[in-house]
Amino acid sequence: MSAARVVMRSMWRKASGKYALIVLGLWVLVSLISLVWTPYALLETDGFHAWASPTAAHPLGTDGVGADVLSWLMAGSRTNLAIASLTVVVAGIFGLALVAAMVSRHTALRSTSVVVVDALISIPTVLIALMLSVLFGASTAVIVAACGFAYGLNLARIVRPAAILAARSQYVESAVWSGASGSRVFVRHIMPNVMPVLLVQLSMSAGMSILAEAGLTYLGVGVGVGVPSWGHSLATSVRFISIYPLTVLWPGLIVTMTVIALHLFGDALRDAIDPLTNPELREAA
Amino acid sequence: MRFVAKRLLLFIAALVGLSILVFLALRVLPGDVAAVMAGTNATAARIAALRTQMGLDRPLPVQYVDWLGGLLHGDLGISAISGRSVVSQVGARAAVTFPLIVLSLAIALLIGLPLGCAAVITRNRRWRGLFHVLAIVGGAITALWSGLLLILLFSHGSGLLGLFPSQGFPNDGWKDCGRAMASLVLPALATGITAGAGIMRYTRAALGDAAQSQAVSMAMACGMTRRQALLRVGLRLSMPQLVSVIGLTFAQMITGVMVVENLFALPGLGSMLITDVGNRDLIAVQSELFLLAAFFLLLGLAVDMAHHALDPRLNTASDDVQEVL
Repeated sequence: MSAARVVMRSMWRKASGKYALIVLGLWVLVSLISLVWTPYALLETDGFHAWASPTAAHPLGTDGVGADVLSWLMAGSRTNLAIASLTVVVAGIFGLALVAAMVSRHTALRSTSVVVVDALISIPTVLIALMLSVLFGASTAVIVAACGFAYGLNLARIVRPAAILAARSQYVESAVWSGASGSRVFVRHIMPNVMPVLLVQLSMSAGMSILAEAGLTYLGVGVGVGVPSWGHSLATSVRFISIYPLTVLWPGLIVTMTVIALHLFGDALRDAIDPLTNPELREAA
Repeated sequence: MRFVAKRLLLFIAALVGLSILVFLALRVLPGDVAAVMAGTNATAARIAALRTQMGLDRPLPVQYVDWLGGLLHGDLGISAISGRSVVSQVGARAAVTFPLIVLSLAIALLIGLPLGCAAVITRNRRWRGLFHVLAIVGGAITALWSGLLLILLFSHGSGLLGLFPSQGFPNDGWKDCGRAMASLVLPALATGITAGAGIMRYTRAALGDAAQSQAVSMAMACGMTRRQALLRVGLRLSMPQLVSVIGLTFAQMITGVMVVENLFALPGLGSMLITDVGNRDLIAVQSELFLLAAFFLLLGLAVDMAHHALDPRLNTASDDVQEVL
């Protein structure tokens, strides 16, 4: 049995892992479906049925201009999927580059990267996003850049202890003595050691990017005007909360359930891919 | 001492770098602030006159030095839109935002620290599970959504219980302390819950690590109960780590604070910044962004200093250890 299947099976066995896999699987599935089909076209509005309660025709009701809430949420899930995955990629690359600098053999590079991370980490994501949005206008790219930057710094700080521990190990020492290059040592010997922490942190970053998107979009510096996203659905329902409280429930519930799933996914993946905690993986290898 | 000197130098360097970045970023902005102010019917001559009046036609380095000099004297410039001095607006609005932040942090600590400790102390599996769920669910709620739910539950008018106001801040500010406080309760709860869940997670992790340490075993061998050993020895051991985490939580809370200020219509710094960004009020945005970011850099500095002061081990075993790579 391949290692990937063993990992999936170990994750599926636990209730939290099962929940995470189901929710994340649904998320990807709905995003893909929304590319070709949504119950109603996004711009198809019906002024006579604005703020309609859930019916068979509109399972989650309609919003203020009579657009179908379910269709907007379905279309929004692909925007959020794109934001979350791109944030993970940006934060992962940026964070790993910082970690590599933090364990490099150049003393100056090492100490500079440590203090730079310590100084920059206290600048809030929202300020970075605000500055970028003043420059380039509100867009998905601004969210990804701001989140990727902030979470990359966070990642570097959290992964650093594990990376230093690995860098001081005897196998790294012997690899260096047998002539392996710095980059080879980092990729082959240090990366596998920090992988569990890294994966947990990356899946948390994906969750935080969803929360950040909702906040930033509400503040007007998130996804552009008319782009469907969960934050957009949440923000449009806010203005009429006292009249139609139920419409607020759905997008918030979806955001919360997805972020929970991402948290649990990270934990389950960490336990499943580490041969120290997963005996089946040792047998499979 | 070497650490303090290094960290201070870095702080100053970061401040200078940040000021240049903010200044340049807003100068290469596509929208011309003079053209915005002059209105749609303005002639080119009128716009040029405005540019001269506001000093926008001088060379960039001169403008930069002028702005920085003003900042050092407490002069943040005159808002291009409202014509009022930025510093007077900042002062009035800080009187809303800072109490809000302090209240949120207090709520977050009151939720996070005891629950985090309890999660480590308890041996009951059910309780442990419950704490785990609480931490994860609490951390997955956006301030926007929890704010909305709080409005639905507790606000005057639209809420089920009608305990607190959900919109605005008293016009006379803090003259009527009770009313001002009441209007901050729901917003502070909305941000405090999410931050509290984060603090709870970190407390549980840090105290959990400390529980494995020899110091705690030693304390128990000397006759303390497990609870005493964890609270008196373990908590002290994890304090340095907790202080830096709480500082970071504080910094990230500002997103939530901006959201709830808008949601609850509070006249705070966050909603001011958002309005000014929307208006492309270049001069105001530049000073406000710099001030806020500088505040957080200062906060980071303070947290690092506290971390070092609390953990004497860091001073002996510094980062001079030779790494192999």
